[in-house]
Amino acid sequence: MNTCVGSSTLHTTNLILSPLVPSPSRQSIAITGAGIVSPLGLGWQANEQSLAADRIAFRPVDLFDTRELIAKTAGVVDLPAEKLFHRIPAHKQAFVDRGTHMLLLAIREALAQAGRQNMEDIDAMVIGTSAGAMPLGESYFEHAQQESGRVPSQLSRAEHYQPQRQMNNIAAEYDWRGPVIIVSNACASGANAIGWAADMIRSGRAKRVLAGGYDALARLVFAGFDSLHALAPSGIPRPFDAQRDGLALGEGAAVMLLEAEDARQSAALGDVSGYATATDLHHLTQPDPAGKAAIRTMTAACTQAGVSPSQIGYINSHGTGTPFNDVAEAAAIATWAGDAVAGIPVSSTKSAMGHLLGGAGAVEAVICLMALQGQWLPASLNVREVDPVVRFDLVRQFRRAALDYALTNSFGFGGTNATLVLQRRCA
Amino acid sequence: MNTRNICIRGVGAVSSAGWSAAAMHEAVLAGTPLPATPCARPGEGRSWPCASRLATAAPPEKIARHSRLRRSSAITRYSVAAALEALADAGHDPAAPPPGLGILFVMQNGCVNYTGRFYHEVLQNPAQASPLIFPETVFNAPASHIASFLGVDGAVSTLVGSSNAIMEALDTAAFWISSGIVEECLLIAAEECDWLSAEALTYYHPKLIASEGAGALLLSASGDGPKVSAVIGPLAYLSWQERCELLPELAAQTMAQFQGQATLINDRTGITKLDHAEAAAWSGGTWNTVLSPKYILGESMGASSSLQLVLGTLAARQTQQPVVISMPGTNTAAYACVVTP
Repeated sequence: MNTCVGSSTLHTTNLILSPLVPSPSRQSIAITGAGIVSPLGLGWQANEQSLAADRIAFRPVDLFDTRELIAKTAGVVDLPAEKLFHRIPAHKQAFVDRGTHMLLLAIREALAQAGRQNMEDIDAMVIGTSAGAMPLGESYFEHAQQESGRVPSQLSRAEHYQPQRQMNNIAAEYDWRGPVIIVSNACASGANAIGWAADMIRSGRAKRVLAGGYDALARLVFAGFDSLHALAPSGIPRPFDAQRDGLALGEGAAVMLLEAEDARQSAALGDVSGYATATDLHHLTQPDPAGKAAIRTMTAACTQAGVSPSQIGYINSHGTGTPFNDVAEAAAIATWAGDAVAGIPVSSTKSAMGHLLGGAGAVEAVICLMALQGQWLPASLNVREVDPVVRFDLVRQFRRAALDYALTNSFGFGGTNATLVLQRRCA
Repeated sequence: MNTRNICIRGVGAVSSAGWSAAAMHEAVLAGTPLPATPCARPGEGRSWPCASRLATAAPPEKIARHSRLRRSSAITRYSVAAALEALADAGHDPAAPPPGLGILFVMQNGCVNYTGRFYHEVLQNPAQASPLIFPETVFNAPASHIASFLGVDGAVSTLVGSSNAIMEALDTAAFWISSGIVEECLLIAAEECDWLSAEALTYYHPKLIASEGAGALLLSASGDGPKVSAVIGPLAYLSWQERCELLPELAAQTMAQFQGQATLINDRTGITKLDHAEAAAWSGGTWNTVLSPKYILGESMGASSSLQLVLGTLAARQTQQPVVISMPGTNTAAYACVVTP
């Protein structure tokens, strides 16, 4: 039975209160706008259509040379050809990073969805990224290596390589002046940014925050994952497949406009009702096999949301498709859900668009919001034989479903784990 | 900002002056810029001057032993040393950190040495680029290592931003503490220097001298130690001109927060073109002492405001008077704060 915000009752749970969050706050954090840019398309509608069609978006990377690498494909975003930044002088346009363009598109969509044309009254931006404007850093390095003399354009590269300077480009586009907080917890950055923003509102430090994450493909990062043998040689990630052999990288951005319920200026699409973060100390790049930190974040986020595992109608898993991640996450979900595990639908949308790193948590949160709005479940694609570790309901094809709550997991290098719980709003 | 009266229970620092907060304090009080040395560059050398003030080699007692620290970058080593000093300064046994500890880590450039090395390998032959180095290039690798070393499995996060982004972290630390997410919070900002970042600074101004280090503050809701009694900002700007125009407002708002004599710790580099707006903004104050750590230590980018805060804490303890810290930043927003004994 669907229970929308405002009509739901609080459920008694047997979950252990985690020290990660204070006693559960029921304050509603409304999502009044969302924007998404992914390899599946630009915007909510294009992404929804692609997910409904079980489409995958991998193709050869032409942004840099991949000839010497094992993997050669990724989820690549097709940016529009027209100029997006109108307030940046022509001679500076080349220093606006590809990822910043994606983020601007996502912000535009989120603001438009909230009926806004500007960022007036927005108290802060909280943005997650793992690589920032890495391609500009790469270019700075290459010029410095090649030239022993001063290269005038190096100043612009050094300056615009910094993510906060890239965010200034976006602020300038809207003539907006406010605090910009850049969270960089590797692949959990986007989820952390949304949770961070929700905390700012919940604590009364802000009424209205734009939050999300982004990352564009970069040569250094691509080669890094390739060096770790973390990329699927075939280019096709198969999360939760018994024979999975790695992830595929992607790029993209997503943003949510979060508002305090008592200050809400636009119709709500849903709520951020739970958030928790914890640190897995097992290894710099490998998760604890039992997923202990993930159990803690799922437990704490659900406690804050006031829901039990059986009420979660969909989990968008971190689901990278690497052998280590999927075992740990499946074990964590099974432990956390207990007897309810078999009835919880789970998928990894990375199977369709790749791992968007700092953008992943935000993009996957927006996909959860889309699923709650549309009452459907996106699929885990490319699975041939389900790994025996899977005890949940692995969604292998797009399907219609009734759901009130969706949960999304994000786990990053360095051990940062983050879980967001989103709640449906009735029309 | 929700930082009123948050307590700074302990501080630690690694800087070009040495591996302790006291060494930095002493060098800044002495008032003489530390010697700079030419910054080495691989290959053919460079056709223009570029100097840096690097942290000295770690004294043996400052080298922490832990499996995760064996390959870690300089920025991690500086941060671990500063964090352990801050814990000890607060009366904790660094070997047994307090329960309920959180970590907020701030940087501007991050793990530049490993990043440069790894990208060099990628350009040479990506098929042979080291899988051991790549994870160390990630922004949150230092925070992860420190968390592992201290056994902190709760709230740990890394922020990237301008030199004064530590003020955003301070705001969050106050929230984490006040809401019970953590009991105490280590606030660390750090930077390491390489030839690329040293050169980058010379593009901003030929006389800017790159430096490195880490500042750590152990924060709690109560206890002994100076308090952050006021935070002014963020006053956001989109250009250097806007920055210059709003600094008088920053100074005026700050000076309204205290009475009597105070110490000013400013952002002065010693380069008039870069300093004049800040100097003019604060010229109306009556200062007991004016300290300019950047002028003495060098431009340590993401670490610089943490070193100011560490210095401010020591100055407040020593003088028993308020300390005003000016952090105008470079890219996004200006901050100031008042630390009271």
